[in-house]
Amino acid sequence: MMRTLARRADDVLRAQAWEADPRQARSSMFSLMVLIVIFGLLYGAVMGSYAFSMQRLLQVLYAAVKVPILLLVTGLLSLPCFFVLYTLMGLRHDFAEALRSLLAAQAGLAIILASLAPFTVVWYWSTSGYNAAILFNGFMFAVASFTTQWIVRRYYLPLIQRDPRHRLLLRAWLTIYIFVGIQMGWMLRPFIGDPNAPVQFFRSNSWGNAYEVVFRLIWQVVAS
Amino acid sequence: MLKALTQLDQILRGETTRLERLRKGSFELNLGPLIRVGIVLGALYGICMGAFAVVAPGGPGFMQMISSAVKVPALFLLTLVVTFPSLYVFNALIGSRLLIADVLKLLIAALGVTMAVLASLGPIEAFFAVSSTSYDFMILLNVCIFAAAGFLGLGFLLQTLHRLSLIIDFNEIPPSSAAESIPPEPLPDEPAPAEADADREAWMDADLEHFSGPLEMGHDQWLGNHVRKVFACWVVVFGLVGAQMAWLLRPFVGDPSRPFEWFRERDSNFFEAVWTCLANLFS
Repeated sequence: MMRTLARRADDVLRAQAWEADPRQARSSMFSLMVLIVIFGLLYGAVMGSYAFSMQRLLQVLYAAVKVPILLLVTGLLSLPCFFVLYTLMGLRHDFAEALRSLLAAQAGLAIILASLAPFTVVWYWSTSGYNAAILFNGFMFAVASFTTQWIVRRYYLPLIQRDPRHRLLLRAWLTIYIFVGIQMGWMLRPFIGDPNAPVQFFRSNSWGNAYEVVFRLIWQVVAS
Repeated sequence: MLKALTQLDQILRGETTRLERLRKGSFELNLGPLIRVGIVLGALYGICMGAFAVVAPGGPGFMQMISSAVKVPALFLLTLVVTFPSLYVFNALIGSRLLIADVLKLLIAALGVTMAVLASLGPIEAFFAVSSTSYDFMILLNVCIFAAAGFLGLGFLLQTLHRLSLIIDFNEIPPSSAAESIPPEPLPDEPAPAEADADREAWMDADLEHFSGPLEMGHDQWLGNHVRKVFACWVVVFGLVGAQMAWLLRPFVGDPSRPFEWFRERDSNFFEAVWTCLANLFS
């Protein structure tokens, strides 16, 4: 079991063909989702272990659950629009393959994040600032997203070679996914958990809009 | 319902507007089911829009959701009613031989595409509606979503119009007669009709072989450039009418600080309101 999992993860990183192979469509979709959940859980658990104590055990669990939710629900919400765009562009016959490629990319993101988890552990041990912890995790997500571009590009290459319009659709997907993902991340706060605040799944007063906050911040900088 | 969905699916895939189907100069479409499925999709998006009012504390609540579900399809149908006559007249003016029924089918198909895109963005809209507290943000998000859906729908309209007028023109000139009437000295920058015919034939066949989507451009350099311009202008008018119609039918999202109302008093205009929202968001 462990060995199969590791081999599959390795395949994703090397962009092996089995994920995008139509003959193994169902099983590959399933194993990609399993990969997303497991590696997402891993990084989430590490992320939630900030200022770890037995009282904050629940925070570890919450954060662990939140990372796969973030990835999968964001993808799910963006899916209908992506499907219609693919159909409109006349590329419906490639949709399943594109979907598997994108799912593989998300699995890749989860794996890369998990591989960065040891850095986060060291950071948590060596510093104590809450804001620094948030920034460091943001940095890890940025590094992972950036690296994932490699995987996306490799998976999408055959599609783009077949039809250059796939590139346009990939950009559309990334735009929608990031747009929704940022709000999703904002909504699922706290991932790390302020050590002075009680442990909770959702922050009671955090129902808000990430973009609104960003606009305000920009405006404050511009206006001052 | 399933049949209607299949029909919409074929429009989205571009099968309804493929050149071989269009060759007869009109395209077959069952209007009734298509309109119904469009209304259902619009109502679904309206429900997603109304979710904001339901979740917002002290907001207009469920009535807003119902009202939005009614208003979104109404918005598109009313815009269609307002703009249909002018589209037909323009279409006739620039010399296209499309019949009135074809223009109507074309518009309904384009609205079907718009509704499909809109409904497909519904989950994202609903997610933001449930998770945000900013009324201004929701309005701007909806403006963007409607713009994107309208853009794709009108792109479909323009592209299909191109193809239709292309094919009608092509059918009007039988290849044999064109070959007989070769001018003695064809101008160097204009291909001889026979050659042009061969070109058209060639790319039509190429298009048939290579399956292309409904938004795919044909290389129709020889189609009058002014046709493009007139229709581009018309599309802008369509967008403006749609925006103003939406303003007339507001509220769609539902201001949390106001009680429920079906319509609001007339004041300001769409663009001023969007600008105010932007300013509010930044201040």
